[in-house]
Amino acid sequence: MIEVRELEKKFGDFTAVDKISFEVSKGEIFGLLGENGAGKTTTLRMLSTMMKPTSGHAVLNGYDTQTEPEKVRTHIGILFGGETGLYDRLTVAENISYFGELNGMSKDAIKDRLRQLAQAFGMEDFMDKRASKLSKGMKQKAAFARSIVHDPEIMLFDEPTSGLDVTAARDVHEFILRCKEKGKTIVFSSHSMSEVEKLCDRIGIIHKGRLVECGGIEELKEKYGNDNLEEIFIRLAGAK
Amino acid sequence: MKLKHAMIVFKKEVKDLIRDRRTVITSILLPMILIPAINIIMGGSVQNFEKTINENVSVALSQASDTDEIKKFVQEKILSKNPNLVLKEPDDPQKALENEEIRCIIDVESGYREKLEAGVPIKITLLYDESKTKSSTAAEIVTQAVNDFGSDIIRERIAALGLSTDILQPVAIEKSNVAKENQGSNMVLQMMLPLLISMLVSVGGIPAATDLVAGEKERNTFEPLLTTMPDRSSLLIGKYMAVTLFSFVSVAAILAGFAIGYAIDPNSMTMGLDQQVGGFAIEPLAIVLAILITITLGMTFSGIQIALSTFAKSYKEAQTYLSFLMLAAMIPGYATMFLQPSDLSTVMFVLPVMNTISAFKMLLGGNIIYSDLILALGTSIVFVILTLWLASSLFKKEKVLFRS
Repeated sequence: MIEVRELEKKFGDFTAVDKISFEVSKGEIFGLLGENGAGKTTTLRMLSTMMKPTSGHAVLNGYDTQTEPEKVRTHIGILFGGETGLYDRLTVAENISYFGELNGMSKDAIKDRLRQLAQAFGMEDFMDKRASKLSKGMKQKAAFARSIVHDPEIMLFDEPTSGLDVTAARDVHEFILRCKEKGKTIVFSSHSMSEVEKLCDRIGIIHKGRLVECGGIEELKEKYGNDNLEEIFIRLAGAK
Repeated sequence: MKLKHAMIVFKKEVKDLIRDRRTVITSILLPMILIPAINIIMGGSVQNFEKTINENVSVALSQASDTDEIKKFVQEKILSKNPNLVLKEPDDPQKALENEEIRCIIDVESGYREKLEAGVPIKITLLYDESKTKSSTAAEIVTQAVNDFGSDIIRERIAALGLSTDILQPVAIEKSNVAKENQGSNMVLQMMLPLLISMLVSVGGIPAATDLVAGEKERNTFEPLLTTMPDRSSLLIGKYMAVTLFSFVSVAAILAGFAIGYAIDPNSMTMGLDQQVGGFAIEPLAIVLAILITITLGMTFSGIQIALSTFAKSYKEAQTYLSFLMLAAMIPGYATMFLQPSDLSTVMFVLPVMNTISAFKMLLGGNIIYSDLILALGTSIVFVILTLWLASSLFKKEKVLFRS
């Protein structure tokens, strides 16, 4: 479903992502674990075709990010952490519809989808309210709905709980698990060990642009003889 | 680039901008209210000011000249020529001048009557305050009245010699105006309209451009947008069309402001400068060319504005860059403000902003040279392509898009 081979990104002399390779199977949650500046966001930006790799390849759903970026984009949904990134002067329905239209959905399909999403996220009461008038929780629901309006097979989450309180972070976790239930393939970046442990099937530990370890959580615990993922992370990040 | 995608972005941006109170107030409502208000107030002020300095000009005689005889002489021979001149009798003329109770003091030398009879020049001294407009204007008015009195004396003396006053004017000048009916009568329009239209088209899209790229980056809506299906060119063109539209919306709002001002008080168009706005007889093709030149100028500036907004890391940074752009548009505008249509050279039809101003000046001047207008349109199209290419390059540059 996602195949990353020797993916590299350089900004001048600085190597942000250093020839990383990993695979994510359909319906799997893959966690990219790393400190701030490790290269997680740059990796996700390359997967979402926002950035072009300096070398290497990333193939999503059979489409190469460099040769068929438009097709890649129709198959992905993305959610960023911190601000929800909604258009304040548009209503929730307009925000979601805009992304539906941009992703090639017909007006009728968008209408049906809006109904489904409003019901799924309990947004019926505020679909016609402008985003600026919403509470943080409402905005978050709208952002979730917007990211999956076109029903993408692949979801990319870039530190989605960054800056959120416990309840909001929990909502994000539930949303990610819901995506998994629907069979979506998920890449999820975080620097929180507990979050990664709670959600991910497999993880890749990224440090200074390099993927220093990759595998199932239990597999890694067994390999390093330690039950504490944080200690494994410190050991790997400190050693490399 | 797919037009369908660009149109989706365009429609959304227009909807978004129309709902932005800040943009609607600054780009549409304020010009429609402020322009007529400023013109009417300025027109009224200029007229009031002119009236104040030219009417009820109070003068007084100096203490040395304050005799019944001189008073009678000044009143009858000098001041009676201008009904606006009023002779006052303050106790202390010097103090009255300082306190602005009077505007000018007239001092007539003693023995003036004998000198006049003997044909010897008499001396009249005017005391006034050059630093005060009212006082210096009063001195000019009194000087004119004294000169008129002098002319009367000359005529009397020549007549006494049995000669005709024609000897005072050995050459008679006759002027004949060859300008067409509407030429020259639109001076204020020739000065103001081209400058206003060019400047407004150049800056009208600034609020929209700032909001549509730098604003998106700051609100974190830009990255989700980049992950949707359309390519960057489609996103850019949609935004570019919205900025261009808003450039013209603000121009339309300002022109509507002028029209409202004119409907309320026709004099407001010339800001009280007492000039008539003449009729127009411009060939339709010339009007079409001028409109096309203006549209391409708007598109050129929209390209620059989108490019600067893309380059900026934040909304504030974009505002700073774009305020400099406003300055760049103003310089050629003011540099050519006082040029007459006959002063236009072909080079001016090649330079951005200046070419639009020149085209409108030519139009209002009435003497149309089509090759110059076509040259202006051609160069404008080149500028549109260049600026769009610049905006498009920056919009695709990762280093620029992800500068933060």
